[in-house]
Amino acid sequence: MIIENVLFAFQEVFHWKNLGLMVLGTTAGLIAGSIPGFTITMAVVLTLPFTFGLSPVEGLSTMIGVFVGGLSGGLMSGMLTGIPGTPSSIATTFDGFPMARKGRPGLALGLGVWSSFFGGIFSAVLLVSLAPSLAKIGLEFGPWDYFALVLFALTITASLSGETLVKGIIAGLLGLFVASVGEDEINGVARFTFGSETLESGFDFLPVLIGLFAFSQLLSDVQDTEKARQPLMTGVEAKGVRVEHLAAIRTIFSRWINLVRSSLIGVFTGVLPAAGGSISNILAYDQAKKASKNPSEFGTGVPDGIIAPESSNNATAGGALITMMALGIPGDVVTAVMLGALLIHNVQPSPSFITENPDLAYAIFIAFFLAHFIMIAMQAFCLKAFLLVVRIPMYMLAAVILSYCAIGVFALNNIQDDIWTLFVFGLIGYAMKLLGFPLAPMILGVVLGHVAELNLSRAISLSGTGEQFLLDMVTRPWALFFLIIAAFSIVFPWYQKARQTASWTLGYLPALMLCLAVPLAMMDGWPRTLIAVVLALGAVYLLVQSARRGWSVSTNDAA
Amino acid sequence: MSVSRDTIVAILLLAFCGVLWHASYDIEITSYGTMPSTVWPRIVIIAIGVFSALLLLRSLLLREEETTEAAPKLPFLKRYRNAGIIYALFLFFLLTLPTLGMHLGGALFVFLALTALGRPSPKLIAVHAAIAVVSIGAMWSIFTFGLRVILPQGEILPI
Repeated sequence: MIIENVLFAFQEVFHWKNLGLMVLGTTAGLIAGSIPGFTITMAVVLTLPFTFGLSPVEGLSTMIGVFVGGLSGGLMSGMLTGIPGTPSSIATTFDGFPMARKGRPGLALGLGVWSSFFGGIFSAVLLVSLAPSLAKIGLEFGPWDYFALVLFALTITASLSGETLVKGIIAGLLGLFVASVGEDEINGVARFTFGSETLESGFDFLPVLIGLFAFSQLLSDVQDTEKARQPLMTGVEAKGVRVEHLAAIRTIFSRWINLVRSSLIGVFTGVLPAAGGSISNILAYDQAKKASKNPSEFGTGVPDGIIAPESSNNATAGGALITMMALGIPGDVVTAVMLGALLIHNVQPSPSFITENPDLAYAIFIAFFLAHFIMIAMQAFCLKAFLLVVRIPMYMLAAVILSYCAIGVFALNNIQDDIWTLFVFGLIGYAMKLLGFPLAPMILGVVLGHVAELNLSRAISLSGTGEQFLLDMVTRPWALFFLIIAAFSIVFPWYQKARQTASWTLGYLPALMLCLAVPLAMMDGWPRTLIAVVLALGAVYLLVQSARRGWSVSTNDAA
Repeated sequence: MSVSRDTIVAILLLAFCGVLWHASYDIEITSYGTMPSTVWPRIVIIAIGVFSALLLLRSLLLREEETTEAAPKLPFLKRYRNAGIIYALFLFFLLTLPTLGMHLGGALFVFLALTALGRPSPKLIAVHAAIAVVSIGAMWSIFTFGLRVILPQGEILPI
């Protein structure tokens, strides 16, 4: 059965039309990723209107192409100009730009491209092997557990995506509210329509998303009149640069530990809801520096400083896809958009996604692998395209893309009201950005609002009463597990700030481990009990170590 | 006494919660279903209210720091000029869509947006017109012929 599904998926992915779309998508991603101010998310969001006319496999393959291309495209501008094309390439510029300035731009680009490739392939292998197993765990979830998982996704998104946790949570809650407008799915009752027939069907997710993300981003990009009139980049010297493929591959293989460690960091970061490549590339760079025998050389153009961020940011994509496919929860904003694409084709993302749609699931696996090969093949071409695109002023791109947003949003449902939704949410998104509210939690709130309400309703229905529901939430192991990590994720920003100064932070990790040991011990099967015991013992060990050092933060750091 | 930006936002959010709470009484309570349709939105509204109150409290405690941070670098009108122009033009585009259609309205929107944001020179105006016609023409063709989407036709040029 599996072989049949894999063969069918191969047939679909390697169809000439799909291959052409993937080449187009990857190329568009590479170019979009290389333009500062033009994020990968925006590129994927703008791809969305095209996907409705395509089959689910074609639509998702194209988006995966854009995603993988975008993650790798950011390195071009970062290395050649010192300005990262995307936030996921910030750490790449620390050593990529100095290496290029020292006369080795070809090697710098080669290291970046091939690290991206190997990191992506590493995560693709983990995606194929882990997603089905994780999905089996997901099948154990009842509505209580799923509701708690959504709460966790929202709290961690709020805590990781902005400087102010309170604003992040408010943004997530506003997203949940937006999803509740219109006819309620459970009882079919209209809510918050204020007498408007248009609002009875609620806000379509995609115009809201395009408005919040793309529309508001473009307005921010043209805010400064003088800057908007200048070419996107000036002084890009890349004529005659040839990517040194062989030298780069040799260098990467000689530093394989860094590659594996950084890729693992990327996958783990991607699995966490909302933590994307912008976090993983800096984490991986930091770990590579700490593990290096010569950390002082970092920042001067060392290969390890390029391998770490580039392999981790591409590996993040695989991690995010694991969460999306196994649990039906987006790993980041890009996978939230992909969930939207699945919904367009009436595919409901859930833990049973892989078992119910094996052909589509395997096609996603294969497309993710394939996109990395296409990315390598298109890199040289895109370097030339990048040099042409950066001559265009931002205001020209913005005006054309805005009109495209309008056409694309209309094309989704053939309704003019959707363009009004785009307009209104563009205004809301722009205002939120100006006021310091992160948009990622709001988008996740909009995506997960229906899922949260549906599971809450089912859970209350099964529990019988509100009191029993609350009791079930803390006595069911998986629900308790997610509630605990949700609570700890709320405290995480304070922990992060005070980590090297306050002694209470020494108790954060042991407390988390001890608390997580409780639901794990409550679960069936000896492996989980064993994990619970290991976690509890680890927590006790950490506490004893901290007590021996007199709860001194500085001593602990030095150690 | 100056009021910080976050304080104003928090007060507006609290007022918004009040409006939504009031509107939640208009939601029909059905005799079927375990969870009434008002429960979930009310949970969300209460949560928004609680966190808005926290934001208000935080902004009042950190008032001085916040007001210094919020000080704009450019005059208000200059700072938001481009965003205002784009919104006004997009609103005009939306209002005239039934008359002009997607092709004419879209091209006009792109041309006006480019001309308003770009440098005012006759040569550039010609370039902007060309970009508007080519870009909207290309998009219109892709969606009409490639994706089989019937875009709004308009009364002036019904194609």
